[in-house]
This record gives sequence, structure tokens and C-alpha cells, in this order.
Amino acid sequence: MRIPILKLHNYLLISIQTEIDDQTAIKFQEDLLAKIHKTGATGVVIDLTSVDIIDSFIAKVLGDVVSMSDLMGARVVLTGIQPAVAMTLIDLGIHLQNVPTALDLEQGLVKLHQELGG
Amino acid sequence: MNPRSCVNIHKEWDIVGARQLGREMAKEIGFGTVDQARIATAVSELARNIYLYAKNGQVCFEYIYTNSQKGILMTAVDTGPGIKDISRVMQDGYTTSGGLGAGLPGVKRLMDEFDIESAAGEGTKIKAIKWIR
Amino acid sequence: MDANLKELMISNSDSIVDSWMDEVGRIKSGNYTASISDELYENTNREFVNVIFTSIQNQGSSKVVEEFSEKMINLGWPLSYITDGLQVFRRVTIEFLLKQADQVDSSHFSNVLTSVDEWIEPLIRQLVNEYSGSWENILSLQRVALQELSAPLIPVMEGITVMPLIGTIDTDRAKLIMENLLEGAIKHNSEVVLIDITGVPVVDTMVAHHIIQAAEAVRLIGSTCILVGIRPEIAQTIINIGIDLSKFPTRSSLKKGFTRALEITGRTVVDLPSKNQGIDEIMNALKGE
Repeated sequence: MRIPILKLHNYLLISIQTEIDDQTAIKFQEDLLAKIHKTGATGVVIDLTSVDIIDSFIAKVLGDVVSMSDLMGARVVLTGIQPAVAMTLIDLGIHLQNVPTALDLEQGLVKLHQELGG
Repeated sequence: MNPRSCVNIHKEWDIVGARQLGREMAKEIGFGTVDQARIATAVSELARNIYLYAKNGQVCFEYIYTNSQKGILMTAVDTGPGIKDISRVMQDGYTTSGGLGAGLPGVKRLMDEFDIESAAGEGTKIKAIKWIR
Repeated sequence: MDANLKELMISNSDSIVDSWMDEVGRIKSGNYTASISDELYENTNREFVNVIFTSIQNQGSSKVVEEFSEKMINLGWPLSYITDGLQVFRRVTIEFLLKQADQVDSSHFSNVLTSVDEWIEPLIRQLVNEYSGSWENILSLQRVALQELSAPLIPVMEGITVMPLIGTIDTDRAKLIMENLLEGAIKHNSEVVLIDITGVPVVDTMVAHHIIQAAEAVRLIGSTCILVGIRPEIAQTIINIGIDLSKFPTRSSLKKGFTRALEITGRTVVDLPSKNQGIDEIMNALKGE
């Protein structure tokens, strides 16, 4: 299973709709980095509205993706994390300290626009 | 009267299967969405540990009732290498897999009761209970 | 046998009622009903004993008892008045019935005891049930009210929501607060959430920990959390016990926090000129006269 990555101007948009298993997550990490490399995108929004479980592995992959993309010059914002998921992450002791977040896709794009000084 | 459902863990996709079963059973007995997510996440952590370290094992769920409350009990059993130093794996941030090291202490925080038995070379048995608030 | 006793009792109801009133009247002094006027007490007693008789006569007609208990509950009469009254009734009736017999042997004695018990018991059961039912009802209503009160969420403006916290925070309440906070922030699409702890009397490590967790969860869902209402003594405890709140914006008052929230959402408060203009116009108009 592959997670589709859409391109919009300088941005990449990803909406994760399926239950993520470890392979899908790792595959997604590779795909996204390759896409950033190919398109030269400067901003990425990953929308997690439909994701109802993030365990420590998925959280690590997401955190890594953010740092890796940063290294490649693309800013990532995570959007739409559900309350139940947020509480579970806090219980797990995972705070995703350096990961920018926004309420929804729209505000995620606004945030990227501000941060990139566009 | 008290059905017990189990999922065998030996391939990666079984982790997803286990957490789906855990979530369904939690929903059925009446847990709210937040606690469903907590339970499913705890299952995911335990199932992943089995897959990563023991290769083979089983995660089971059953409903439990006392005079004053009801809840769900999950048991994760494997016959893997076991854990040498339990107090160490219960520390936040301790990891041998390159993960976040949030696994077992995280599960303990997600659930209400947590019990671990393990002997090197004999495998590990973890029991965790979540009560309905 | 049974029917005979009952008839005997009912035909002599007057004398039973008299001795019952006598005894119950004596209980009054120095107990729960002491503050009630003698007249009301006597009226209620008469009504009560009527209900007892009607119920026994109709073989436990529940309608009368239900109405009576409802009235007693609404007026706030204690349950012990009811149970005491029924105990006295039992004693008085047994005494009376035993006195009527020419000769008391053990079989007659036990017959009287069982019969009276059979009359009284359904009454006790029903009255106690009505009382406890009403208590349970009140209790569950209060629980709901308390839950609603414990973590209220107020959307004050597009994108800004306030949660005022009042009272002690324990682990259970902290969970409720976090759930309400996150779900509310999503529901109202709030970019900024203000947690006001003016009304929280003590902030110890535990409470601070819960608040920090809530603030971090708020950040994860993509909103910003501002902690407001930090009184001097709370600032002191927080620093003295070494809690690190530096990652979150904090403000001393809700007012300052709200101003900050406006900044974050890209807004500012502007005084409308119309108010001053209005006064100027009035002044000018006065001058013109």
C-alpha cells in the first residue's frame, strides 16, 4: 500500500487515510524524501485527520520525516491530529517537540506560508 | 460467558490486526473513543515488541468484571529471549531497537494496571488492564 | 385467622391510632423533627397513620403510599421519621392484638407477629425504595452537573477559546479537562486556547504536570495554549519546586492572555472613534444653545 503525495506549487500535500503499518510508514518516508528531492518543494503538509492510532513507531517515523525534510530544505507541518491520538501520544511520553502543527490543512498551509516568508 | 480472543503475532501485519481487535473489543464493552485509542496503542506497542524481539507470540483480550467495575484485560505472551533487566526496560527512553524507548513505560501509562514477568531465555508475559471510568 | 386479626385491628383502629399518636408524639422531642410546629407534626402524623391503614386495608395499595412518600420527600421529612413511625405502629398493633385475646399461647403469639409483619413490611419496603430512589436520582443529577462544571469551555471569539478552571485538580478531573479541551478546540476550530487557573487554589507538581500535559496535547492538535491567571504565590511555587513552564506562553491575567491571543490570531483591539465623537457632539450642541 502506498500513500499518495500531491504537489501544489511549491508545496507537497499528503493526507493519510489508511491504517498505517510499519512498512507503509517506512515506504512513505522514502517516497516523500524522493519527491522533495525531485520537485524541490519548500513546504509539506501531512494531514492526519483520518488517523486514529499513532504508536511510538509511527510517531518516530513522523518525527524523523520532519527532521529529514528539514535537512533537505522543506518545512513540514502536521495537521489534524485527533484529540484521542494527542492524548495517547502524551501518555506515551512522546511530545514531538520540534514538529510544527496546525488544526487543519488550511491553517497548515497558512502556517507554511508565514514561516517561509512567502 | 467470558470470551477470550487472541491474535497470533508472527508477521508485521499482525500488529495491525491485533490493534483492530483490541479497539473493537474495547468499543463493544463501552470504552469512549479516547480510551479506545489508548488501548489500541498499547496493543500496538506490545504486539510490536513481540514481533521485533520474540518473532512469535500471542496477544489475547478478555473482558473482566469485579463488583464495582468492568474492563478489558490484555495478555501478551511470547517465548522469545526474555528480558534480563526489567527495571531498565521500564525506564523512559531506554531502547535497543532505535525507537523512541516509549514502549513499555508508555503502555504502563496508557493502561490502569500493568504486570510483567520475564526470565532470560524463557520468554515474556505481560498483563495489562484498563477499567471503564 | 389472618382475616380475623385484620378485622379486629381495623374495627379498633381508633384506639390503635390513639396509642400510636401518643408514642410518636413522644419521639418528637429532642430529635430530627423538633423544629417542626406541633400542629404540622400532628397533621402529618394523622395523614401518615391514615396511609398506613389504607394501605393495609387494600392489601398494599401502592398509589396512596406513593403519593404520600412523594409529598414527604418534597417537604424534606427524614426517612427516619417514616421508619420510626412504622416501628411504633408495629409495636402498638402487636400489643393491642395480644391484649384482645383471652389467652395467649405461643401459636397465637407467633400468628399475631407474622400477620403484623406481613402488613407492615411491604410498606417499609416501598417507602424506603421511594426515598432511596429519589436520593439516587439527585446524586446522579449532581454528578452530571459537577462534570459539566469541572471543565467548561467558552468560545469567546472566532479562533479563541477560554477554559476557566476552579477548584482542586486531581487525576480524574485532569483527564476530563484534557478531553474537553482538545475536543472543544477542534469543535470550535480554535487557534488559541486560554487556560485560566485563577481559581485553582494550589498548584503542586502534580497539578502542574497535568496542566503541562494538557498544553502539550493542545500543541499536538495544532493549536496554541496560553496559561493565564498565574498569581504571585503560584509563580513562586512553580519556580521553587522546579517546574519548567518556559515552553508555554504564560500571562498573569486573562486580560493579558487574551491580548496575546489576539496578536497570535492577527488581530488587535481598536477604540472606535464614535464614542468620543458622541460626547463631543453633545458638548457642541450644549454650547450652541
